[in-house]
Amino acid sequence: MRSKFFSTAIIVALIGTLNLTTGCAWWHKHFGPKTNQTAGGPPPLPGTDTGIQMGERGPMTGGGDHKTFAAQTVYFDYDSAKIKPSEVSKVEAVASALKSGSQNIVVEGHTDERGTAEYNRALGERRAQAAREELIHLGVAASRITTISYGKERPVDPTHDDTAWSRNRRAEFVISQ
Amino acid sequence: MMMVVTVQAQVTVSRNFLKKGFAVTGFGGDASVAGQVAGVLKNDLHLSGYFEIKPAAEADYVQQGNVRVQGGMDYVDCMVTLKASNKVILSKTYQGSAQDLRRVTHQITDDIVQAIMNQRGIARTKIAFVLSHGNAKELAVMDYDGYNARQVTYDKSISVRPRWSPDGHKIIYTSYLQTFPDVLEADLYTHQRRRVAGYPGLNTGAEFSPDGQTIALTLSKDGNPALYTMNAGGGGLLRLTHTKGAASSPTWSPDGSEIAYVSDDQGSPQVYVIGRNGGEPQRLTRSPSYNTEPNWSHPPAGSDLKPMLAVTSRVGGKFQIGIYDGSGGVVPKVADGADNEDPSWAPDGRHLVFAKTANWRSRLYLLDVVTGDQVELPSIEGGASEPAWGPGL
Repeated sequence: MRSKFFSTAIIVALIGTLNLTTGCAWWHKHFGPKTNQTAGGPPPLPGTDTGIQMGERGPMTGGGDHKTFAAQTVYFDYDSAKIKPSEVSKVEAVASALKSGSQNIVVEGHTDERGTAEYNRALGERRAQAAREELIHLGVAASRITTISYGKERPVDPTHDDTAWSRNRRAEFVISQ
Repeated sequence: MMMVVTVQAQVTVSRNFLKKGFAVTGFGGDASVAGQVAGVLKNDLHLSGYFEIKPAAEADYVQQGNVRVQGGMDYVDCMVTLKASNKVILSKTYQGSAQDLRRVTHQITDDIVQAIMNQRGIARTKIAFVLSHGNAKELAVMDYDGYNARQVTYDKSISVRPRWSPDGHKIIYTSYLQTFPDVLEADLYTHQRRRVAGYPGLNTGAEFSPDGQTIALTLSKDGNPALYTMNAGGGGLLRLTHTKGAASSPTWSPDGSEIAYVSDDQGSPQVYVIGRNGGEPQRLTRSPSYNTEPNWSHPPAGSDLKPMLAVTSRVGGKFQIGIYDGSGGVVPKVADGADNEDPSWAPDGRHLVFAKTANWRSRLYLLDVVTGDQVELPSIEGGASEPAWGPGL
């Protein structure tokens, strides 16, 4: 049952008008005391941790170079993080290129849109790590390779069919900058 | 050590669960205010699952009341009578500003539920969720009935998997704000944010223990994604699982002694349980062949309901909400050909919120597991997903 005093249109309009400048003010009004803020956005995260061990991080990629190894994107079967025999030559090509250079790379793990979001983050990470382990096995130093799982958040093809889904189940090799 | 997972899958509709007839006769006074209050009250009573709205002649309980507007404030007098005996079970005046009328009415509903059912109501609770905003995903919070949705993050990044602190002040979640998936904590009142976990690899799935002192989460810094706990304030990292497969999606038992989670160690993902300090995991689900996103209910003291483990199952390629039956199986609760995912229990242990995706659009629904009633919440432009029901006050 819906209250006749709040239509869907109003809810949609409320969400639709949220943007960086009004949104921040709105949050302050409803959630917190007034503080000094730069206009146009929420405060940035603190630069240092509050005593939490961060551990070593790999290179920050920012955008990263997705193009150089685009042809070597590894594809996976549904529900699987196994590198298929047909895909191994791609990993070998990446390993070869890396061993003759000094770039660092990030392996991105992705899933198709089916499946629950959080489990897909774990599955995406397993795919990225499978490719990373194969690179290490082929002689690339572990310290040069980091992983990022995007789960199902970054499909290359947003279409809702088998072709798109098989293109989205992938590990991409991205050169960090 | 043998772990005993106390869950209840089937809820028998005993006499305690039969709905009581309730008449909302409305409020005298300012018609606009009266109309708003009566509308929200009827919806709240319906959502509670305890009542069926009926005309006064057929109802067990009758509400009467009055509203006054005075000095910029609204005053709502509300009286509820048990018809059979004419006993007044509630008689109270509530006040609030014009913008507060929904909250005031939710308070009235909770008072009615307490007075008649001797249960804590959910009318004043909140639900956090993920709002799809173009290419970005942001966190938002709304009232439990789907109104007053407000955005919490404005990062134009991917912010997902929110979970509440037990005091309702903080939300921990997974964020790609700094490129890598990190666990962040946002304080809704102080407006402060801090990083909870930013190790190499995946940092996600964080959930506070019932006492708020510990966080369970998924980290892949040491290999495949595994289950860890850490102190809520930082430090004390402890690895719980040590398997080749991925462990993810932890959810705490009501007393905080165990954590149920997902592992695909034996092929497809299933739900397991492990003690909070690690040890031998115990597999819970065996069928259907894919079970993820468990959420453990924590019914309040005095509830007629036992703890239940809700899960998302995949059957025939479609996703269902079900309840673990205590012996390897799952009793389906929402199985309608759409994709129903990510259940999150209300603090009453009776309702849960989940996301239903049909025609590739995702909307939030409430489920009353006692009656099986589903209610669609007002739609959110762009789509809403991964809901997390906040704590009671």
